[in-house]
Amino acid sequence: MNENLFTSFSTPTLMGLPIIIMIIAFPALLYPTSNRLISNRIRTLQQYLINLILKQMMAIHSPKGRTWSLMLMSLIIFIASTNLLGLLPHTFTPTTQLSINLGLAIPLWAGAVILGFRYKFKTSVSHFLPQGTPILLIPMLIIIETISLFIQPMALAVRLTANITAGHLLMHLIGAATLALFSISTSTALITFIILLLLTILEFAVALIQAYVFTLLVSLYLHDNT
Amino acid sequence: MLSRVVLSAAATEAPALKNAALLGPGALQTARIFHTGQPSLAPVPPLPEYGGKVRFGLIPEEFFQFLYPKTGVTGPYMLGTGLILYFLSKEIYVVTAEMFSSIATIGLLIYGIKKYGPSVAEFADKLNEDKLAKLEEAKQASIKSIQDAIDMEKAQQALVQKRHYLFDVQRNNIAMSLEVTYRERLHRVYREVKNRLDYHISVQNVARRKEQEHMISWVEKSVVQSISAQQERETIAKCIQDLQLLAKKAQAQPVM
Repeated sequence: MNENLFTSFSTPTLMGLPIIIMIIAFPALLYPTSNRLISNRIRTLQQYLINLILKQMMAIHSPKGRTWSLMLMSLIIFIASTNLLGLLPHTFTPTTQLSINLGLAIPLWAGAVILGFRYKFKTSVSHFLPQGTPILLIPMLIIIETISLFIQPMALAVRLTANITAGHLLMHLIGAATLALFSISTSTALITFIILLLLTILEFAVALIQAYVFTLLVSLYLHDNT
Repeated sequence: MLSRVVLSAAATEAPALKNAALLGPGALQTARIFHTGQPSLAPVPPLPEYGGKVRFGLIPEEFFQFLYPKTGVTGPYMLGTGLILYFLSKEIYVVTAEMFSSIATIGLLIYGIKKYGPSVAEFADKLNEDKLAKLEEAKQASIKSIQDAIDMEKAQQALVQKRHYLFDVQRNNIAMSLEVTYRERLHRVYREVKNRLDYHISVQNVARRKEQEHMISWVEKSVVQSISAQQERETIAKCIQDLQLLAKKAQAQPVM
């Protein structure tokens, strides 16, 4: 049982060759591009959605922050599509691996912070001390703020990993419960199956929401630092 | 779907494959020669309006047509059922927990697509139509503005033909005002002359009257001088006599 549960999270290999790179690159194939003004439906919808998300997300930034638009849009589309594709049966979701999420979170966070320290040193350093703190608390507060700054990338990565992994595990477990109950009592299996349905709906939502949250937080860090 | 991928791959690898035109729909695009020099972007080649027909959302119609001559209508369905049962019974597809979660996921997806598919497609079509309508509107507005400019130009040209009326009216006005001024001055001259003549006449009248009065007063003075005292006494006595006679006559009549 234990072995079966976690095999879906192991690095996928095909005949001993790791194909993880192809799996990560695969979602990009699903987004068609075209030079035309008027295209087919899927391309129109894709254009419309990306425009919507772009406007929503980059509205708060200054022009300097908006140079990150491509990066953030690619980020949200990558995370959303890998999460959604991971809901299909027998698929591997890259975002369940902490390595990939750290690889996404640390460079982006570090880029935002270094930008802030380089161009607006005083503003960035002033974030360590909220306004109106009593003088005695200052040393402790600076230490706490530093820790909270350095925990940001970890939090980003672990949040995404934990959410998606937990969702997948839960679906797997409830599926196993349904399977086991099927031969014992069909009606209980039916109830469990309904729970599974509800959970799947939740998983779809979580997939999209996690992508949004990740990108939003990165953009927030960017906003602080530009 | 896979058959079309194979077709286009075949066309790219062997561009001289002329009998690609025989291989069903999509032939227009697969018969094109790829990667020969500069691709021209105009005229833009047409997109097919609808995708290939599929059954069960997965298996293209061409597969059913392919099997039809040998196995009839039920052939592909038998093949599918047999394959599924084979995979299940030989445990090539193992029934695990994943099966239930996959049933849940795929069932949910199919339900969502069946329920919201048409409305989403309509929305996408509307987006395209709005884009076209905006461009069409811009084109129409530009055409209309140019048409309005042409009409205005024509109207101006027509007006230029009628300009001589304006000039005639102005000419008439000026002539009339000249005439009026001339007559006014003529009248003034007449009045002035009459004034002077009236003056001379009244001077003459005054002189004549003065002469008359002077003569009358001279005549009266000389007549009064010529009446002597004796004549005056005689006249007064006669008047008294006449009056006495009248008084007597008057008494004779009765008083009313």
